[in-house]
Amino acid sequence: MNKSKLVLAGLCLISVSFFSCKDDKEDPAPSSGPGTVTLDITNVAGAVNVDETGGTYYTNSSGESFNVSKLKYYISKVQFYNVDSMMYEMPESYFLVDESNQATTKLEIPDVPAGSYTSVRFTIGVDSTRNVSGAQTGALDPANDMFWGWSSGYIFYKIEGKSPASSQPDSSFMYHIGGFKNSNSTNANREVEIDFAGESLIVNGAREAEIHMLADVLKVFSTPNTISIAAFNTHMAPGGNAILIADNYAQMFSFEHLHND
Amino acid sequence: MKNTLGIVGLIVVLLSACSKSEDGGTKPFFYIPDGFPDPVYQFQNNPVTPEGFALGKKLFYDPILSRDSTIACGSCHQQFVAFAHSDHRLSHGINNLLGNRNSPALFNIAWFPNFMWDGGVNHLEVQPLAPIGNPVEMDETMANVIMKLKRSNSYPALFEAAFGSDTITTQATMRAMAQFMGSMISADSKYDKYKDGKVNFTNAELSGLQLFRAKCESCHKEPLLTDMSFRNNGLDANFNKDAGRAKITTLPQDSGLFRVPSLRNVVLTYPYMHDGRLEKLMDVMNHYHSGIQLSSTLDPLLSTGGIPLTAMEKNDLITFLGTLTDYTFIHDNRFKE
Repeated sequence: MNKSKLVLAGLCLISVSFFSCKDDKEDPAPSSGPGTVTLDITNVAGAVNVDETGGTYYTNSSGESFNVSKLKYYISKVQFYNVDSMMYEMPESYFLVDESNQATTKLEIPDVPAGSYTSVRFTIGVDSTRNVSGAQTGALDPANDMFWGWSSGYIFYKIEGKSPASSQPDSSFMYHIGGFKNSNSTNANREVEIDFAGESLIVNGAREAEIHMLADVLKVFSTPNTISIAAFNTHMAPGGNAILIADNYAQMFSFEHLHND
Repeated sequence: MKNTLGIVGLIVVLLSACSKSEDGGTKPFFYIPDGFPDPVYQFQNNPVTPEGFALGKKLFYDPILSRDSTIACGSCHQQFVAFAHSDHRLSHGINNLLGNRNSPALFNIAWFPNFMWDGGVNHLEVQPLAPIGNPVEMDETMANVIMKLKRSNSYPALFEAAFGSDTITTQATMRAMAQFMGSMISADSKYDKYKDGKVNFTNAELSGLQLFRAKCESCHKEPLLTDMSFRNNGLDANFNKDAGRAKITTLPQDSGLFRVPSLRNVVLTYPYMHDGRLEKLMDVMNHYHSGIQLSSTLDPLLSTGGIPLTAMEKNDLITFLGTLTDYTFIHDNRFKE
């Protein structure tokens, strides 16, 4: 079902691409204005979707069983590329993905200029300016519980859960990762590129354009750095082990497919 | 360049609203006292209005900001001691919990580049988040604070009056508090009047001022009476109890460093040091004279083992420090609960 749908979507895409290219050159259709692109993120643990009710246990690369009760992270500075050229950056693009609120896993990028794109790039984190400019609004509202009061700055990535490997009395583990300063190598902002694997995302007026991606928590424990809950179950400050986890979340995204009807 | 700064300063002053002062004239909520540098906080992005100031004041004195509605900002920042916490060694939170640092005085904070003994807070508008979220202070989440403010009978109208919208946000809440706290200016002490040529100093005060400039001013720089730096002033030989600035920077060379506090109103703000360990100003004199503990991060200015001071010099210094008390500020009705 899914596969046939994909093939169909692919065929449509190819035919539409041919058609629009030809069309654009001769007589730009009135509808070829900017469109909205949706970045659709599915948080997974390996082959299964993350279950934030905590009912499901997964196994990390250290062989430790754990569940997830909280999973939140910032996506910012969303940019659309055609091969190596940056074609469009969404101004003020700050999104807080919160697994407990599925609406936040679909990031809507409005006003993307009509065109063909081969990849999207974004930052996991929040740029330094917004970390030092006082009380912000929207996704960056400190009331979203992603801001350190004692050491001003955003928590870029937050995962909490339980694991028998944790030495905490309640078996909890908590990783709150952030840090925006380049001094002392504590910057936990990480750029991610999602390449559409040879496909093109066509934006043209009201056409639907969706990029589906997976974000794998198992990679946050394993790639490239092995994170063991037994070794450290809590990290809630910039620097130190935060950088190991930041290097891992830089690798957590993978491209799934495009919807381009 | 200088002109531009002047114009910016002028705009700041023009943007600032005025309030009735005791002599019947009007005084701007925020102004730059003579001789003060330009403030760090950008009031042009958040101009002080009577309504915004009033809202900030109400929030400052309202225990609604704490989890069990028992502690307000004003609980540990009392006007009669220049918004320090009178006679409290350590900060005192809900359920009688004690923190590990002394509650600092509040004035001239619009000139501060960062806040707290360790400088962990980088902007006036996010400063209240630290005590609100601290489990041994107010132990509350900002989300709950916003929810409680929205539910209240009085706040929505006050936000509407201050910011033109009754939608209560963290930003509006913090900006109202920044208007109130940022307007706390202390620049009318005897020392200021002396510098202005309006009053004379006694011989002891004069001698104290000269000693101060020779022996203390390298860190407690005029006119703010702090250079805003972080230094290890030799209280401890190791920093296992409190790493200070290093907690924020994670740099070993910052271990045991704490903010150099302003000495304005210092007679009122006892006990002294980041943990309130020194009770009296004479204890502070004795510390600098003969109590310096050596360590790897000790400030170079103290590395010779301390500041030589005779008994007379200690007394004169303390007499001079008394001239830094700003009675106008601590009696200013605009800040009264």
